[in-house]
Amino acid sequence: MTLRLMIGNKKYSSWSLRPWIAMSVAGIAFEERVIPFESEEFKREVGGVSGTGKVPVLIDGDIRIWESLAILEYLAEKFPTAGLWPKDVAARAHARVVANEMHAGFQALRNHLPANFARRVIKRELTPPVIADVQRIEALWADCRARFGKGGPFLFGAFCAADAMYAPVVARLNTYDVDVGPPTHAYMAAIMALPAWQQWIAAGIKEPWLFAEDEVDWPKTQNIE
Amino acid sequence: MSLTLVIGNKNYSSWSMRPWIAMKAAGIPFKEIVIPLYLPGSPEKILQYSPAGKVPILIDGDQTIWDSLAILEHLAERFRDKQLWPSDARARSHARAISAEMHGGFQPLRQHATMNLWLPPKPRPMPDEVLVNVRRIDALWSDCRARYGKGGNFLFGETFGNADAMYAPVVARFHNYGLPVSPAARAYMDAVMATPAWREWYDAAMKETWIMQHNEPDWPLVRGV
Repeated sequence: MTLRLMIGNKKYSSWSLRPWIAMSVAGIAFEERVIPFESEEFKREVGGVSGTGKVPVLIDGDIRIWESLAILEYLAEKFPTAGLWPKDVAARAHARVVANEMHAGFQALRNHLPANFARRVIKRELTPPVIADVQRIEALWADCRARFGKGGPFLFGAFCAADAMYAPVVARLNTYDVDVGPPTHAYMAAIMALPAWQQWIAAGIKEPWLFAEDEVDWPKTQNIE
Repeated sequence: MSLTLVIGNKNYSSWSMRPWIAMKAAGIPFKEIVIPLYLPGSPEKILQYSPAGKVPILIDGDQTIWDSLAILEHLAERFRDKQLWPSDARARSHARAISAEMHGGFQPLRQHATMNLWLPPKPRPMPDEVLVNVRRIDALWSDCRARYGKGGNFLFGETFGNADAMYAPVVARFHNYGLPVSPAARAYMDAVMATPAWREWYDAAMKETWIMQHNEPDWPLVRGV
């Protein structure tokens, strides 16, 4: 049975990136369907299968799962050897902690630095609540890398669901040229070097749809050429 | 290995209630530490346990786990026989989807109807955005009860599990703020409020003396007195 993933625009949909990159990196085969936000198709198709009317939605036969974190847990169970969570119990518990902290938090960062995967890197001034979020994220990444990251360049060594949850944060920090320390830069570079990441960005750049509320330079746009 | 759960005030701390009530209902023994919130020194006390500075926090041997949903996932893995998630894969994926939906959503409800167990229950006017949340949650509960709840009174049947724990504070909000719900939702709320675990939490909350003015909609009236 082919897994199908319904996602929003690759240019803007940070939640969609999470399961998409997790599955792509883990080598889990799936069919993707991009449904642009605010289209009639979106209302019709997504409203019909997602409890929240939001993307992403994973469709596995007659099972439909919404919420990026619930999708990641479902995939981790269905593909126990894909390494979506770390094998070690302590590392796994901590991976869930940081994934959940992302899932429900960092509102200031998310509001002030909207995901815009096709925007050129241009600095944006930060507000104190955003700076506090960035500091917390840097500390959290550094702690994961120090305690669990010995086996590779990612938070828990190999790429896992926690990295997928933070992938859009990497994009935000990069796009708005946020000042971060060298270990943070190294982690961001590892994420951005993933072939799956580059595929996502390349597809986002090609999309024709623009949304003013996610374009901080509006009415200008600053897309990557 | 003994478990310790660090929580906030029982009258107000909705996030704390989730793992506490899940563990009590499942009969998982633990020691609790209550840190009353928003008092001088409270943040420092919480930071002694978790760098995220938020309750609840579960201490399991040398592991420290914060964020309510990560704690619930950890408990489900550690105590598999307790069936904190439904044993059926489809039901389990649905339980995770609605738990994640609660975890990251319903901001208007959380903002306008903060949990306050001693607030005298009566209908209170709410902005439309809160009523949208109420309708969504009512539909979600009714759907779970109809599809998965046949064997008992809870969302997935007989066992009070992680999904019920995630929504337990919502039951309190709906009840205390007199929000309009369907008979099916009301029956579910009554079942949750009749559990021994709920009664124990509630009785302890009624004995607390800490008052948080910003969570008291009738201020300066508190507890109807």
